[in-house]
Amino acid sequence: MEIRVNPTRMELNRLKKRLKMAERGHKLLKDKRDELIRQFLILVRKNKELREQMEKELSAAFAKFLLARAVMTAETLEEALMYPTRRLTLAVKKQNIMSVYAPRFEWGEEESGRGEAGSIYPYGFVDTSAELDISIETLSGIMPQLLELAEVEKAVQLLADEIEKTRRRVNALEYVMIPKIRETIRYITMKLDENERGALTRLMKIKDVVRAKM
Amino acid sequence: MPLNDTGYAYAVGRIRALETRLLDKSKLERMIDAPSAEEALKVLAETEYAGAVAELADVHDFEIILRDEISRCFALLLKMSPRPELIGMMALRYDIHNLKVLFKAKYLGVTADLLMPAGTVAGEKLKTMVEEEDFRDLPGAVRAAAERVVEEFAVNRDPQAIDLNLDRVLFARLLESARAARSAFLEGLFLRQIDLANIKTFVRVKRMGQDREFLKKALLPSGLIPAGRLASLLDEPLESLIAQTAMSEYAAVIGEGVRDWLEKGTAAHLEKLADDYITAYLQWGRRSPFGFEPLIAYLWAKEIEIKNIRLIMVGKINKLPVEAIRERLRHVQL
Repeated sequence: MEIRVNPTRMELNRLKKRLKMAERGHKLLKDKRDELIRQFLILVRKNKELREQMEKELSAAFAKFLLARAVMTAETLEEALMYPTRRLTLAVKKQNIMSVYAPRFEWGEEESGRGEAGSIYPYGFVDTSAELDISIETLSGIMPQLLELAEVEKAVQLLADEIEKTRRRVNALEYVMIPKIRETIRYITMKLDENERGALTRLMKIKDVVRAKM
Repeated sequence: MPLNDTGYAYAVGRIRALETRLLDKSKLERMIDAPSAEEALKVLAETEYAGAVAELADVHDFEIILRDEISRCFALLLKMSPRPELIGMMALRYDIHNLKVLFKAKYLGVTADLLMPAGTVAGEKLKTMVEEEDFRDLPGAVRAAAERVVEEFAVNRDPQAIDLNLDRVLFARLLESARAARSAFLEGLFLRQIDLANIKTFVRVKRMGQDREFLKKALLPSGLIPAGRLASLLDEPLESLIAQTAMSEYAAVIGEGVRDWLEKGTAAHLEKLADDYITAYLQWGRRSPFGFEPLIAYLWAKEIEIKNIRLIMVGKINKLPVEAIRERLRHVQL
């Protein structure tokens, strides 16, 4: 169990220093873990909310899209959506949550055409179904939230990894490292005391022998 | 009519025979009630589509059957019609589609793979035209529109303008040809298609919250309901569209369709009613024993049939509820 060391006073001092360090580290890591979990919970809640909302809206949009698909030929549908009017620019930056680097998306929508006052529908009306309009409208509307969801979800993943790592470290310190050092310290102290007692007895013995000879 | 009507006797005779092979309501119902897409396809295998179905490797490729069927149908009608140009006129839609695809592909810098084979001008030829921006071989109005597309796109880079311009010329050209052929029947057909398209466009543009200028661009000119009159209704509630058209022949379509749209927020019913309206219109042409009208009616019936099959197959593959399929199913007249 204990670390194999020479039972010397120097070693004892060294180990005492290590113990102090380990305890301090343990406390710090524990604080970090608690804070990480707090942040994590906030994000997870937000994630859940966003995801549920997205799933609802997306499935509605897809259902509409499906219906539009059912009444249009594949070619007409694809032709209609071939040339998008909007272009999304996405810049990925870093954000620091408790020294976890989660991505931060910055996006901008630019119109690829300078045409009709920001029309999001890139097609004509004759061959296309009105159900396509609704689908496109929903999809175009939820794009920012989708990106936000991606951002939050990634952050949650990274945080979860980090929490896992920190917890492991805290546990390692708490249940392995610190008891081990304590044990060793006790061992060394005992050994040193034993030595001291041995030396004392020896001295007394010698004193007796010397006194008897006089 | 200058044309000797008996010239069509043979073609009409064949059409009568072909018409009996169109899918009837009971077949479509059986497809709808089929538990899976594979089962629905099996019903299809009992019909004229048997050969094509047998060659099909995967249910999801059913579009191939439909595409081949429409090309085959056009080829057949072209062959048996004494005046192929009338059939060619009906195929103009596919040329316009191909043009849209080619223009968009060109501006996006991708290769176009969505061409429809049913068009009157070969895809390769159109492709060269679009690439070289040389439209001399296209008919007058289409050529002008194609040139306008090039011009406008250079200015505003708006893909919607491509579609709007080409849709507009499609119907202008169709009307022109119908008038040239002196066929009141065809002219009536196209005018009604224009009106119905305009009504749908009107409601859609209104829902999108676009302004009147945009609506004017999106509406097709020269319908029976003047585009100007529709445009003037844009700022009023949809009910006034119903009221304004209550005396026209579309009263039933608009009344029922638009109301359904307002209630359920879906245009499915309006679109179905519009198609049914055209089917009903073509009905009186179908009966004519010596004209080309039955050919046009057959072509339309075939298109509706294909629409219905697609609807059912897409519905079955994606497990749509049966009612959703049934309420969108176009009426078949047999």
